[in-house]
This record gives sequence, structure tokens and C-alpha cells, in this order.
Amino acid sequence: MSAPIPRLSRRLPLFGHLLQLRRDPIELMQRCRDECGEVGELSLAGQPLVMLYGEAAQEAFFRAPDEQLDQAAAYPFMKPVFGPGVVFDATPEQRKQALRNRSLRDQALRGHAETIARETERMIARWGESGEVDLLDFFAELTIYTSSAALVGPEFREELGPELVPLFKDLERGTDAVAYVNPYLPIPSFRKRDRARKRLVAFLQGIFERREREGRKCQDLFQVLRGVRNPDGTPRYDVDTITGMFISLMFAGHHTTSTTSSWALLELLRHPEWMKRVTEELDALYADGREVSYQALREIPVLENCFKETLRLHPPLILLMRKVAQPFHYKDWTVPVGRSVGVSLAVSNRDPRVFRDPGRFDPTRYEAGREEDQHVFAWIPFGAGRHRCVGAAFAMMQVKAIFSILLRRYEFELAQPPESYHSDHSKMVVQLAQPCRVRYRRRAAPAAAAA
Amino acid sequence: MKVRIDLDLCQGHGVCAEEAPEVFAVDAAEARVVLLEASPPETLRAKVEAAVKYCPTHALRITEE
Repeated sequence: MSAPIPRLSRRLPLFGHLLQLRRDPIELMQRCRDECGEVGELSLAGQPLVMLYGEAAQEAFFRAPDEQLDQAAAYPFMKPVFGPGVVFDATPEQRKQALRNRSLRDQALRGHAETIARETERMIARWGESGEVDLLDFFAELTIYTSSAALVGPEFREELGPELVPLFKDLERGTDAVAYVNPYLPIPSFRKRDRARKRLVAFLQGIFERREREGRKCQDLFQVLRGVRNPDGTPRYDVDTITGMFISLMFAGHHTTSTTSSWALLELLRHPEWMKRVTEELDALYADGREVSYQALREIPVLENCFKETLRLHPPLILLMRKVAQPFHYKDWTVPVGRSVGVSLAVSNRDPRVFRDPGRFDPTRYEAGREEDQHVFAWIPFGAGRHRCVGAAFAMMQVKAIFSILLRRYEFELAQPPESYHSDHSKMVVQLAQPCRVRYRRRAAPAAAAA
Repeated sequence: MKVRIDLDLCQGHGVCAEEAPEVFAVDAAEARVVLLEASPPETLRAKVEAAVKYCPTHALRITEE
């Protein structure tokens, strides 16, 4: 027998808590924690979502096997973005296979570090002495290039330009929680999402046709996939499916890295004492003229702690969900089959039971002696357990490479009031709200500064 | 030092086997990591600590005896 699961108050007819989820999801999830405790039930347009809070309940969530808690069914807003045949259409076993992808492994990361540094240099080559830049636009474009160069291949990356930025933005903004009612409703953000996906398919089609016309032999991931044939000689993967793979590959590492880079720069600008320490750390590390390489990136502790703190305060994903496929037990509660269960990364990362002064930007909480991130089921910007982000090491390496270039070439200052920068939580994919502008000015060469 | 693997969490990514091949190996068929050396010598401490740190699922732990 299950103990009764507390139900969150202020439930609207039909919508339940859906409109609150679209307006202020973190407030909603925190209210559920405060009102209900470790276990509490929300309603998303009639679909119950059981939220789990605190290290112990979250550990149970993250340890549960796929057969019990299924990822695929829990994210209806992603299906129209990825399209058929990709990611959540695949079986858990196929997904497991795909995750052991070599490109995120240690050996591959070595080459990626230099690629990312090079792409960052290319982006800022057009900056000049000083100016202003919108962080969302800048990092969204940069991470399209870094992710595609590292994960698909350098030849493919050369086919891409700034015209992809608005397409990915429309795909990312097409994740309105209204998808819990129906992901194909004729609302503007879904229409834009579908149009962007169509354009992306046409764009990839164009790449393949051009390559064929020019008789170019390319070796990147998609060209190889395009060449795979069925026994009857027809291509195994059509361009639509390959586009879906491209989107899914980019989705995991694009808005997440872009948002994290933006927030890290903003937090450093809001906390000049940390900007000073990070800049000094980078100047010292690269003082001998060494390259931005994998080895160089491995140990940059102050910068790394600043990223950890940025991720804690501004996790790019705020809610993880699973569909219950076999009854899920926690303490005296049982969540029956068919319900969804969820964990809020945003609420957990600010849990005062784990994090001292949780609202404060304080990278020292990761230093020896405190190490608050050792609470691996509470400090969860990358999730935890068996489905913890496989790209976490790649992501950390990537942001360190980007900042190794940016902060040594330029100095930055806020172009808006510090409190005006905020995240837009109206879609399931969190992004920085625009405008989010900063000013930059070229630094004197560190060597000259030291002389 | 003793090394422990939490097999609930291990997904066989094999990062540990790249950090400390003397201590860890991947069982590809089972998608799991196997321990070659449950009590590695102190000389391997730095490598084992890197394996613990970089494990994508936080499945490894060092216990002192």
C-alpha cells in the first residue's frame, strides 16, 4: 500500500499547473518542494507529474533502471524537433549503444580542444579593438561551429554559417510546455519550429547534392551515414533522418554550452574579484606560450570552480523527467505505472540542506575541505546516475578552451544594469533573455603587460 | 587504497580504463567495467584518482584501509 502522495495546491481546471510551468517553472517546483516535502504531485493538463526532492529521493530516481523509469516517453516536446527515427524513437538498448560513442571519449577530446580554440579565434577575428556583442547570438553561433567541427567533422563545419543560428533558435524555442497537451498545436512557436526543421533538411540536402556535383570525397559522419546502403542498394538513411541526427547531436551540446558560457561571463563580470583571479590564472598558465591543448585544459581549478558555480546557479536544464514503466517505490510511497516522475535540477542545486548560502555565487564551495559538489545526487547540473550527461567532460573542456582564448584576448564589461540579465523560462529549453549585451576591448598582450 | 565500482551506475563508458589501464578494463559484452586490481599500489594513486574524477556516472570510489 502506498502512502498518499501530497498534491500541490492551486490547480486550475483542465490545465492543472501547466500555465505556472510556462510562466515561472522554478517558482512552481520550489513551491511544490515547500508545500509537499520530498514527494509531491503536480498536474500538467491532466497528466500527473510526481516530483521527487532531496538527495535520497533523487538518488532513487537516478539509480532506477530504464525498464522501470523510461526517459523516452517523458519528453513529448522533443519529438517534433528531432523527427522520426531519432533518439527518443529508439529503444533503450539502441540508445545505450549510441551513447558509447567514441567522439566524447578521452582520446577524442584531445583533438577537440584545439578545434574549439581555433573556432573561438575565428569568431573573434572580426571583433576589432572594441565593441559590443550580444552573448546569446555570439555563443549560439560559436557553439554551432565547435559542436559540428568536433562531433561531425571539420569538413561539415565548413559548410555551416551564421544562417543556422536563427534556425536553431527556432528549434530551441519550439519546446513550449504546451506540448504536454499536444506537441502539434497550431501555435506560432510550433509553426516556427516545424519551418526551421524543414529548412534544415533542405540545407543538408543542398550540402549532399553540392558535394556530389563537385565529386568531392568527404569523410565526415553524415557523409559516411549517407553512403550506408540497404541490401537493395537504396540509401539506409534519408536526409530527413540525418537532419534529425544532426539536430539531436547539436541539441545536447548547443544551447547548454552556449547558455553556460554566457552566464559564466556574466557572473565573472558581476564578481570582479573572481574575474581577476581567473584572468591571473589563465595568464600564468599560458605565460610560457603554450597552446590551448587538452593537457593545458585539464587543470584550471579557479576557472573550473567558477563554471561549476555558474552551472549550479543557472543549470541549462531545470527539470528531468521519466515515465514510470514499473511501479516506483520510495520510502512509503509508490508511484504507479503511467505516471511521470521528475527531479528539478534548479531546486536541488539551491538546496540549503546541502549548499551553504545557496543563492550566493561562491566558487570556494568546491575547494578542498568543502567540496559541496561531492553530493553527487544534489549538485546535479549534469543530472546524475546512469544517465548523467555523457558530454560533461567534453562540455567542461569546451568552456575552458573558449574562455582560455576570450579572457586572454579581450576584457569585458556589462553593457546593461547587472540585474537586467536573466534567463527566459517560458520554454522547456532555457535560454538567456535578450538583450544580453556586453562590451569588449582588446587587452594589451600579456607579455607586454608584464614588462 | 581500495577501489569500488557501483555497478548500478556503471555504464561501461570506459574512461577509467583510459586513465588507469592497470586497474580497469571494459567488458564490452556486458557494458560494464571490470576491476583488474581491487587494491592498487600507491604508485597508481594519481591515475586512479583521475579515473574517479572523470567517471561520467560517478560510479567509482576510493576507500582507504
